[in-house]
Amino acid sequence: MATIVERPSVVRRKRFGETYIGSWIMTTDHKKIGIMYIMTGFFSFLVGGLEALLIRTQLAQPNGHVLSPEVYNEVFTMHGTTMIFLFVMPMLTGLGNYIVPLMIGARDMAFPRINAFGFWLVLFGALFLNSSFLFIGPNGFSAAPNGGWFYYAPLSEQQYGCGVAGVVGCVNADFWALGILLLGISSIASGLNFVVTILRLRAPGMTMNRVPLFTWMTLITSFLLLFALPSLTAAAVMLLLDRHLGTHFFDATFHGDPLLWQHLFWSFGHPEVYILILPAFGIISEVLPVFSRKPIFGYTFIAWSGVAIGFLSFTVWAHHMFAVGLPTIAQAFFATSTTLIAIPTAVKIFNWIATVYGGKVSLKAPMLFALGFIAMFLIGGINGAALAVVPFDYQVTDTYFVVSHLHYVLFGGTVFGVFAGLYYWFPKMTGKLLGDGWGQVQFWLMLIGVNLTFFPMHILGILGMPRRIYTYPGNLGYNELNLMATVGAFIIALSILVFIYNVIISLRSGKEAGTDPWDAFTLEWDTASPPKVYNFLTIPIVRSRRPFYDMKNPDIADWKTATH
Amino acid sequence: MSEEQDQNQVSGQPQQTPAKAGGSKSKSKSKSKSKEAQEQAISPQQSVWPFALAFALAVLLIGFIMHPIVLGIGVVLVAVAIIGWGLERR
Repeated sequence: MATIVERPSVVRRKRFGETYIGSWIMTTDHKKIGIMYIMTGFFSFLVGGLEALLIRTQLAQPNGHVLSPEVYNEVFTMHGTTMIFLFVMPMLTGLGNYIVPLMIGARDMAFPRINAFGFWLVLFGALFLNSSFLFIGPNGFSAAPNGGWFYYAPLSEQQYGCGVAGVVGCVNADFWALGILLLGISSIASGLNFVVTILRLRAPGMTMNRVPLFTWMTLITSFLLLFALPSLTAAAVMLLLDRHLGTHFFDATFHGDPLLWQHLFWSFGHPEVYILILPAFGIISEVLPVFSRKPIFGYTFIAWSGVAIGFLSFTVWAHHMFAVGLPTIAQAFFATSTTLIAIPTAVKIFNWIATVYGGKVSLKAPMLFALGFIAMFLIGGINGAALAVVPFDYQVTDTYFVVSHLHYVLFGGTVFGVFAGLYYWFPKMTGKLLGDGWGQVQFWLMLIGVNLTFFPMHILGILGMPRRIYTYPGNLGYNELNLMATVGAFIIALSILVFIYNVIISLRSGKEAGTDPWDAFTLEWDTASPPKVYNFLTIPIVRSRRPFYDMKNPDIADWKTATH
Repeated sequence: MSEEQDQNQVSGQPQQTPAKAGGSKSKSKSKSKSKEAQEQAISPQQSVWPFALAFALAVLLIGFIMHPIVLGIGVVLVAVAIIGWGLERR
């Protein structure tokens, strides 16, 4: 009789990439990388937000003593640096990473490893920059950057702003310059990746004339990154050379020119503003049509006005420098170009309003944030146009008026756009709907908070309150307005807590989203929620600007009537 | 449509996962294997080197600021990460 010998089953040890942590560390999947970008961006938003609350607490009353002047300098510098480089840019890159390949019918980004590298650089760049708070010098001050997010010379030179002396001398500005270099490499990597992905990996039939507008704006943003960042990188390298190898690019005492820094910085810095807002334009252009049940009005104008903004953004940088004594002809040029850029921006706003007009508007949370975006960004645009008027700019330059303007653009604009995108795409990413009721609460709290915080700053600026002062005397008429701004900042913080609570309860016990909870138009909704690792087993074929709408409505498909 | 299905509605080819496809156990097993192979073929491979290189660059920068020994370690790590990335089998 034959005996059956059972072989012991061989249990293979899991490879590192198969463990939970390993699968995230080694991932090259654009969706996982997108989620990590978004998480890192949101965590940075919380850190930058806490710094903002410290600033506002310090300024709530005259002669405040919450922070010392030195710490205040570090906190406002890191607030700006964190919000711009570690929150908005990673958050928008994350949304683009997750959504763009799905929108264009691609299986992944063109260069998945470079994509992962870009993310890890952001994470380590964030840790690097924030680790500067941990190095405390003998004078009690940390090594955190302390010269403002644009770090004007000569504040960045070796002999100024010394918190901690390392082996290479004072290191506060070094942390900033090296951190920015690291993050710059990441942005160039992700920009290049988006350009190649969007130009080369679109689904068959998706001509540039059919590319979703979020993808269009991401493409323009990526070109801006590629052309604008070299200027900042060059400036940061020159600064490091000044600080450590004895050059004097920015040192006036050795016939260097501090204004060279400003030119180099702002020739990056103003395109940067559009790098921070264009993807939000794209998000709004996706959300409004879906929640108005209409195609976007003026697709071509929205797409090409984005291109126009991209080009013009390279011609306006010196409007940040009107007060430095530019020649009249230069002032006239930069004032004109700054005013000119309002035209393509206004084109977009008119198109968005026309999209909503006459539509079956559904005021769900993504739509509320999109409408809030239009209103807040409009205020930021109008006070920005005011700053293009040179005599007015002379009066309010480096005052709280400018702080108000940039926050209406970047908070009222970009952050509202980001939340519109998060509420809109959260179901795709997680399979769960974010609670709409809590979304509405968050929206109204945030709208009230933003206006209470930033509107009084217009008046503070006109009254002459300079930005970046760590306190003020009580007899200048600033007191009540500052208190209002501080109350508003805490209301914004409350709205963020509501969002966090909403995310937690939605993930735990939220409503199942299904594949297409919004009855949407674009290809990302043609996949499971969350999508499989390969996105599309069969690459879809596109015949119009609303391919998923066509599939769901074959009788009235766009390609039957539209010419695009 | 259930999450189990691979949706590809525009191209009109919704695909079923093996679990839903029915049939005998061995048939479903072989289908599952072929699907896994197909997924692997169309998905990018994992790699630890992007993480390693970014980490190495961060160590290098900390070293630049704080101590030459850390800087040296950073340089070595960067070199290892670049070589590892370059030699990785794809």
